Amino acid sequence: MTTQLKTLYDSIDPEILETVETRREEIAKGASASSKVMAALALGSVPIALGVLSKEAYGQAPADVVDVLQFALLLEFLEAEFYNRGVAAAGLIPAEDRAIFTTIMTHENIHVSTLQNLIQGKGATPNPKPNFDYTAKGNVPGFNFGATQYETFKVLSQAFEDTGVRAYKGQAGRLINDKPILTAALTIHSVEARHASEIRRLRGKKAWITQNSRDDLPAFTQAIYQGEENPIQLGRNVARLGDNGNGNFEAVSEAFDEPLTKAEVTAIITPFLA
Amino acid sequence: MSDKNTLVISSASQLLDGKTRRDFIRLMGVGGAAIFLPSVLTSCSDDDDNDGIDGGPIGPPNSGAPLVIDFAKGDTAVFQFAYALEQLEADFYTKVVASMGGFPAADQSLLRDVKNHEVIHREALKIILGPANDFTVNTNYGNLNFADRTAVLTTARTFEDLGVAAYNGAAQYISDGNNLLLAGKIASVEARHAAAIRDLIAPKSGSQGDTGTSFAPKAFDDAFRPSKVAAGAQPFVVERLTLNNAPAAFVQGPNNNG
Repeated sequence: MTTQLKTLYDSIDPEILETVETRREEIAKGASASSKVMAALALGSVPIALGVLSKEAYGQAPADVVDVLQFALLLEFLEAEFYNRGVAAAGLIPAEDRAIFTTIMTHENIHVSTLQNLIQGKGATPNPKPNFDYTAKGNVPGFNFGATQYETFKVLSQAFEDTGVRAYKGQAGRLINDKPILTAALTIHSVEARHASEIRRLRGKKAWITQNSRDDLPAFTQAIYQGEENPIQLGRNVARLGDNGNGNFEAVSEAFDEPLTKAEVTAIITPFLA
Repeated sequence: MSDKNTLVISSASQLLDGKTRRDFIRLMGVGGAAIFLPSVLTSCSDDDDNDGIDGGPIGPPNSGAPLVIDFAKGDTAVFQFAYALEQLEADFYTKVVASMGGFPAADQSLLRDVKNHEVIHREALKIILGPANDFTVNTNYGNLNFADRTAVLTTARTFEDLGVAAYNGAAQYISDGNNLLLAGKIASVEARHAAAIRDLIAPKSGSQGDTGTSFAPKAFDDAFRPSKVAAGAQPFVVERLTLNNAPAAFVQGPNNNG
């Protein structure tokens, strides 16, 4: 290893270097190296080759990962403030249900601080918390965490949790080459699903989503459930796998939680931004 | 013994023979008799997993042939690993549903849903993997009493929490975005199951730390490396779960316990 190369190596983030090394081994073994990499190597320019490699190893600009994290942070802000205010509101949550909401509140606040740390770890600045309007621009008329509004509070809770599950799922692909962030996001994703399950059961509903049913939620929440009835998994139509005593298509639709795109989630939560 | 309405069965293997079965059914139809010699009666007790259902289990856990998941197969191996777990879960809940008559109605409804989901997961993965990557997992639940609500729910919780940690931990070995998405679609349903089962065990239970009974004990779910998941599932699986070429590197989740 030349001094120049060693210096270059020392200046690279170890996380990137590990991935580059893996790619270098692949290339040494004759695995696919792009023409750009080979051209750079042919030119004898190791720094250029490394630059190309590190970008290819990620398959996406790190800015994309930061964008996902900022997006997740917005969702977690929305949830955390909702539960912070709900738990603090006098007379809103009955004593027997408080443990549920304090648990969820605690988790959402930890998600917020964790995402802020991850964003900072990427050299970026976490976006500040926006102001929220939990009436969703009047779609939830008069909601203000009042003592008589527990049913509405639970409706919103279900809406946020079911949205969160679909939102994280939809972003996983953008994290596929950043394993630490992917794994962190997935371990939040499944906790959001646990929250959703609990809230739905608390409301007397099934813990899982049947077809694209919003149950008794207001019509403006339909977008949260649209597409959950998808019968195609990896190109195979699985609609009939519930036949013969296994719950029919209802069970098939329940068995797979579907993703939402960032644009779809943004449309859902925009009314909640003051 | 040559009586046309008497059937002599001298070995268990005879029961698997099509002609014997046809004769047996014909006999039952005409009020005939079947004679089971002692050699059959001993081998007939093959309810090795004490689930009240004969057949299936072929020995104690970890006693069977190696069930090899070769991670050199990449995404296919991850789905095979998931497929093994889904087979275990589907088999477990099928037995639960068959013996839950004494459980409260709300439990029965929920457990039937979960059984349906797990069977559908199993069948979907079977189709996706194709015949070349198919295999059968045989199960053994030791002395688990499937009529005991607490025992059943506690085991269900083990399976669901393990399933969530398995998908969360294996995702990092998936290289195709569509495959990653499918894993995520199943993982969150497993998490819904886990929370619902936990809520049946301890309704409305809040956070009590890592080992608590809460529907969501931690702010982050676990992400386990495949070998840790296999160790968790092995006590219920007859075949020896064998992970070949398992990646040495594992990126820990926030709980740092995988």
